Amino acid sequence: MIRILLAEDEAELARAVAAVLKSGGYETEVASNGEEAVEKGRSSYFDVYVFDIMMPKKDGIEALKELRDAGINTPAIFLTAKAEIEDRVTGLDAGADDYLTKPFAMAELMARIRSLTRRSAEATTGEIRFEDIVLDIEGKTLSCNSSIGISAKEVLLAELLIRNGGKVMDENEIYERLFKDEEDKTVVSLYISYLKNKLKSIGSVTGIYAENGGYGLKSQ
Amino acid sequence: METENIYGEYAEALSEIKDKITREISEISKRYKESTGEGIYEHLIARIKSDESMREKCDRKGLPQTAKSALIEIKDAIGIRIVCSFINDIYTCVDEIKKLDGVRVINEKDYIKNVKPNGYRSLHMIIGYKTDLYDANGNKPGEYFVEIQLRTIAMDSWASLEHQLKYKKTIGNQKLIVGELKKCADELAGCDISMQTIRDLINGEK
Repeated sequence: MIRILLAEDEAELARAVAAVLKSGGYETEVASNGEEAVEKGRSSYFDVYVFDIMMPKKDGIEALKELRDAGINTPAIFLTAKAEIEDRVTGLDAGADDYLTKPFAMAELMARIRSLTRRSAEATTGEIRFEDIVLDIEGKTLSCNSSIGISAKEVLLAELLIRNGGKVMDENEIYERLFKDEEDKTVVSLYISYLKNKLKSIGSVTGIYAENGGYGLKSQ
Repeated sequence: METENIYGEYAEALSEIKDKITREISEISKRYKESTGEGIYEHLIARIKSDESMREKCDRKGLPQTAKSALIEIKDAIGIRIVCSFINDIYTCVDEIKKLDGVRVINEKDYIKNVKPNGYRSLHMIIGYKTDLYDANGNKPGEYFVEIQLRTIAMDSWASLEHQLKYKKTIGNQKLIVGELKKCADELAGCDISMQTIRDLINGEK
């Protein structure tokens, strides 16, 4: 299930967009201001962010910047008012992947979300990094001082944790995403142990910490 | 014409020491087996470097072909290879060997943590071993040196395959083979760690 975080302060618009996204099969969470968006973005995993720029407490650009600074690379789309060309530029510079001008057609928003999720699925071929570690997705190896082979499931788990940028991902969420075909839910902690020991074996200072029933990457 | 063995009058002592240390290490494993049900290694082989390769090594190092070169300067006249089922057993062996009477560690190289670029993994150590016999320096009690290599079964089978590569210099697709071997080494290392993790889980360790 693809999860979307929608940050929009206009309650009515938020409700309408969320309803369409949900009917399109996306699980959608709504934040009503920038601060809430940062909180939600930091505390759970999303596949796409859809942020309005003009919002109270913290604008969308600031919110995304904070999330990016926290190492979270979730693809993001900004919603901007027509005249805000300046905003689009600063938005893209702040780490957005796309923008959409208000008023927009829902069909277009959906298409852009599809394009972003497709792109991040395609991006799962090269190398991704976190602190001192490199995950070679195709080559199925983790490297730091030396490299080590990991299984297909471990690649997916490592990728999920890396893309989650060091914040905690709930154990159930990991289970739902990667191990649904396995009855025994302790499979998650076993795979976390595999990765922990493999990270140690390549001399990495990055470890996996457990917190509030979830796991995240952390450099010592 | 028969030339004398490079180890000369020390040849006998050398093989005695090889057997003694082999016995002591196997006794450690026996003790573990009695208390935990599992030994600390899968198998062990001990050898004395042949006269021919020892002379060759002296030449390579620019040393005269004497017992002193072979037993003092060169420290692998006695070689022991310990092959373990699991990675942690390697470190258990190392700790126990260090505790043996008359053993001092000369050097230790952990190629499991510091993997060689080709993917080679093993733990090497050279120990000095005290004995009541004369050594090639004329000391009594004397000291002999032993090179001990420790690795898992997976590392061992990899190393034997990689060894074959060294003697076949004419392989056309050398670069491909070297790359594939490196990949195998990393995959095997991954399996070694997964198996250790599962074993710890079964034994209820963290």
